[in-house]
Amino acid sequence: MSGLLRARRGAVVVFGLAALTPLVVRDAYFLDSLVLILLWGALSAAWNVAGGYAGQVSIGHASFFGIGAYSAALMVTRFGRGPWLGLLVGVVLSIGAGLIIGVLSNRLKGPYFALSTIAFSQVLLIGVSRWRGFTAGAEGIPVPFRSGFATLGLGHTGWVYMALSVALVCYAVEVYLERSRVGYQLAGVREDEDAAEALGIHTRKLKVGAVALSAALTSICGSLWAQYVGFVDPTYVFSVDLSVRFALNAIIGGMGTALGPFLGSILITSLETYLRATFSNWDARFAGIYLVIYGTALILVVRFVPEGLAGIAARIRMRKAHA
Amino acid sequence: MSDTAPILDLDCVTKRFGGLTAVSGVSLRVAAGEILGIIGPNGAGKTTLFNVISGYYRPESGRILFAGADVTGQPPHAICRLGLTRTFQLVKPFGNLSVIDNVMIGALTRLPTVSSARLEAERVVEMCGLAAHAGGHARTLPIGLRKRLEVARALATRPRLLLLDEVMAGLNPTELAGIVELIRRLHADGLTLIVIEHIMAAMMRLAQRIVVLHHGEAIAEGAPAAITQDRRVVDAYLGEEFVLAQA
Repeated sequence: MSGLLRARRGAVVVFGLAALTPLVVRDAYFLDSLVLILLWGALSAAWNVAGGYAGQVSIGHASFFGIGAYSAALMVTRFGRGPWLGLLVGVVLSIGAGLIIGVLSNRLKGPYFALSTIAFSQVLLIGVSRWRGFTAGAEGIPVPFRSGFATLGLGHTGWVYMALSVALVCYAVEVYLERSRVGYQLAGVREDEDAAEALGIHTRKLKVGAVALSAALTSICGSLWAQYVGFVDPTYVFSVDLSVRFALNAIIGGMGTALGPFLGSILITSLETYLRATFSNWDARFAGIYLVIYGTALILVVRFVPEGLAGIAARIRMRKAHA
Repeated sequence: MSDTAPILDLDCVTKRFGGLTAVSGVSLRVAAGEILGIIGPNGAGKTTLFNVISGYYRPESGRILFAGADVTGQPPHAICRLGLTRTFQLVKPFGNLSVIDNVMIGALTRLPTVSSARLEAERVVEMCGLAAHAGGHARTLPIGLRKRLEVARALATRPRLLLLDEVMAGLNPTELAGIVELIRRLHADGLTLIVIEHIMAAMMRLAQRIVVLHHGEAIAEGAPAAITQDRRVVDAYLGEEFVLAQA
């Protein structure tokens, strides 16, 4: 066990600090940022299961996020039941949607697969926007706050630990994919499907399974996010922006690495929050400038650390080993 | 051929691509413990035949029996689990993984745990002369060693019949001698092999029997010495110079 902790000391530091912060910090704004960092990190880790480990790069993961968010919100507002039941329903629906996307991945490769995932999320966006009688359409649904664990009405500290729990679940799934039999086989599928088949690996089944698992985790995060933010609307939860964010955090942090998505989220979420807060007080002429800086940071990371932030740590370790 | 049932039995197998018949009515029997060579000019249908046998292509007609089981139209992973696998002419290493992990993924097909598969992979890597490169990324290997990695990975799945698709092409004489030696050792250990190769000198030393493909058809079959004298084979593939050089 101590060996595992040593090998994963980066994760111990990141998640340990997150766990300790609410004990020291009471500032609501800061805790809110921490919840978002953890949630976006968990979402990117969920994306990483399909995109990083199985090599199925999706730009439509907002589909599963939206399904989770709407399942939880509708379960509370339309059926008067708890959000946990909604979370469960969301997981089932997302696994169904993930199976569809997974089967697509067996037909379409690379960019064609990515495009089809975008199309899938757009179909959901239009469907949910039009089905006004049930989903309230484009207006969105306010989710009422009722205090308590069963209704997911938590304070800031409670939400930090809730987000931390789901982050740890996603992280554990990633670690499993790095160490287990099925994880190695999945790496083979990612690297070369034909070669993996020749080695006795049922590549189609593994890919579909990975996408469905990724969808289920994304949906859980979506349900929690809806309860945390207290409002869902189709143009946000099914947006391509959101899908790109899941992918970008993982790419910047390090695709196919367990901690990478969380490192990406720490950098991007805090940078975004800080820039937006700083520049919104400036002259109105600079209203959108945080986007410019944000974009520049992305370009720099991709240009100079193409293997992601997790790759920097690996480089330093290599240099030490050689020194 | 021996009296025992063949390990592989192809009955009139045909594979078409649109109007092109790449493999045309090929019937073939391979006895357990044999090394069968397949030769023929480029485009003769050799690799297509491998793709059909190993399950990558479904034949339009004909039947393939492996160890008595009908595997016609079965997917490659199922055929591999039955004990028949292949290497690729254009090597397909898992480039971003280490050499040992490449081989271990093959071993996981027979072994339930990562630790047992790693031990097995270490053994196979050693046997194939890749031990010095075990920790390096597969993409950094030179071509000679990539060909060996193809063989090592396939061996880790513990096949009874292994199809080798031009594992000697592009190798220097030292590498060539090494891989011929490896194949002989595997054969001595009881592995049955079908080998596609253009290098006739190596083929003559390895194969006990050679089948010649031309325009998708098996035009000749026999012992290596007899094949090189066959008029049709000389015309289709070897050429007069080869016969003169052999004389």
